[in-house]
Amino acid sequence: MGTEGGSALPDTEVTRIQEMIYELPVGKVMTRDVVSVTPSTAMKDLRPILRDKRISGTPVLEDGKLVGIVSIEDFINWLADGSPDCAVACRMTKDVRTICEDEPLLQAVNKLERLGFGRLPVVARDTDCMTGVITKGDIVSGLLKNLEVDYRNAEMRGARSSHIFEDVQSDKSTMMLEYAVPGADFSKAGIAAGRLKTTLRRLGIDPQIARRASIAAYEAEMNLVVFTPGGRITVELDPRKLKLTAEDSGPGIPDIEKAMQPGFSTAPDWVRELGFGAGMGLPNIKKCADRMELCSTVGKGTRLQIEIQMGEAR
Amino acid sequence: MNLEEIRKMLDARWLGCKRGPNGWGAAEILTCQASDLMSDVLAGSGMGSLLLTGLTNAQVVRVAEVSDFAAVCFVRGKSVQSDVVELAEERQIPLIVTPLSMFECCGLLYRGGLRAWVQKEAARCRTRK
Amino acid sequence: MRLNEIALKLGLEARAGAAGLEAAVLGGYAGDLISDVIAHAGPGVLWVTHQTHRNTVAAAVLKGLAGIVVANGREPEKETLEKAGEENVPLLVSGLSTFELVGRLHRLGLSGVER
Repeated sequence: MGTEGGSALPDTEVTRIQEMIYELPVGKVMTRDVVSVTPSTAMKDLRPILRDKRISGTPVLEDGKLVGIVSIEDFINWLADGSPDCAVACRMTKDVRTICEDEPLLQAVNKLERLGFGRLPVVARDTDCMTGVITKGDIVSGLLKNLEVDYRNAEMRGARSSHIFEDVQSDKSTMMLEYAVPGADFSKAGIAAGRLKTTLRRLGIDPQIARRASIAAYEAEMNLVVFTPGGRITVELDPRKLKLTAEDSGPGIPDIEKAMQPGFSTAPDWVRELGFGAGMGLPNIKKCADRMELCSTVGKGTRLQIEIQMGEAR
Repeated sequence: MNLEEIRKMLDARWLGCKRGPNGWGAAEILTCQASDLMSDVLAGSGMGSLLLTGLTNAQVVRVAEVSDFAAVCFVRGKSVQSDVVELAEERQIPLIVTPLSMFECCGLLYRGGLRAWVQKEAARCRTRK
Repeated sequence: MRLNEIALKLGLEARAGAAGLEAAVLGGYAGDLISDVIAHAGPGVLWVTHQTHRNTVAAAVLKGLAGIVVANGREPEKETLEKAGEENVPLLVSGLSTFELVGRLHRLGLSGVER
């Protein structure tokens, strides 16, 4: 995202400004705190207002409604006419050019250019109520302010995904996360799933996908702990999909079809009292996955592989 | 209901560092799941949900975390080991414990307006082979 | 309140032990840990659980429970049904979760078991 030194803006900034001109509404950038006069204000009272506020004109409001505009030019003409004793109402321009607060900045820029004005009163749509004034200066400072907000957001996003993770193996287009799972230690079961969850959250992965992956990892981890001397869980992430592999060199599963049946469990009784062993582990994993593959050889080990598509909102 | 209101309704107390009404107490809870079977819990989603359970081991915290539960409430005044409380603090899972039975808790919360969590068929994960 | 009244009001289906449906229900218990039921539930209590294992029937017999309701749309295992039939333990099912079912039982006037 680096900006070059010097006065030239990098291409990305220019496009962002162009985008903003199309997208930012006038209402977001205008000045709300506006000096105004009423039709009955005396012309001679205009001088201090115009001078002290250093403005080139002021809107004329009657009960909040825009009824005219009186500019420095009007004031000079009034002076030239001998400063007659009269109110603003006599010298103001009644045909006021305005812009709506929901129009994009682009419109304001065009109008100001076309009319040759320095400022335009802003009205709420379909009313005559003035809500602010917009000047060229407002437009420039508004764009710069929004550009700054953009910078801050982009920085935050960048920081999130550039955290250093202990579990990251490579950072090409595919990211790999690896977790060793020690067998038999029930107190440590679930550590890998928890760490995976944290990592996926930090990467900004869709929460539903993160949950499905973490639940599958958790159930796989449980199986490794309860039934095997230990194993490994690997997660491969690319923009299109998440692939989770759990493998071990444990006793293996004699009847895979039976093992996939909800309710079927070979878990020892003590596991039941800990809230597990209901035979739902593999079915739960299947539920979380878009694709699942389970192969096993008795006496040699087991390999579970699942895939979750990234782009899908469930 | 928020977690603080639930805590008061169940006469429960916070476990671990007390976040109070402005911290975790403000968490908005929409549904409740009452279970000691972690596999059942893992079959669903815990978003915006309170897990009511009598199981007090570390796995409850891990399950609550992977399933996105908003909070866990232990019933029957069960004592919870300090390592479980520490784990919950580390993983940012609010824990409360109530002296009431699970039956009473469900009754009070249900009548207090909390809804059951229901699995929507449309949201169920499909599998392709 | 009798078990068959409750079953009717809440749409519970009996899967086994129907002979015991006349029994009076004195209170309710919710939970899935068998050790907990044995420790805390007493005679005449209706047990609401997600557990489908046959050990639930053994616990029900041991404590003289009024019956077991398997909730959350779960179906009891084959051995569980058999055992419930043998021991005459009413075994019912409901599509509602434990939370909702207990909520409704509570509304009907059933209260939790005192320790």
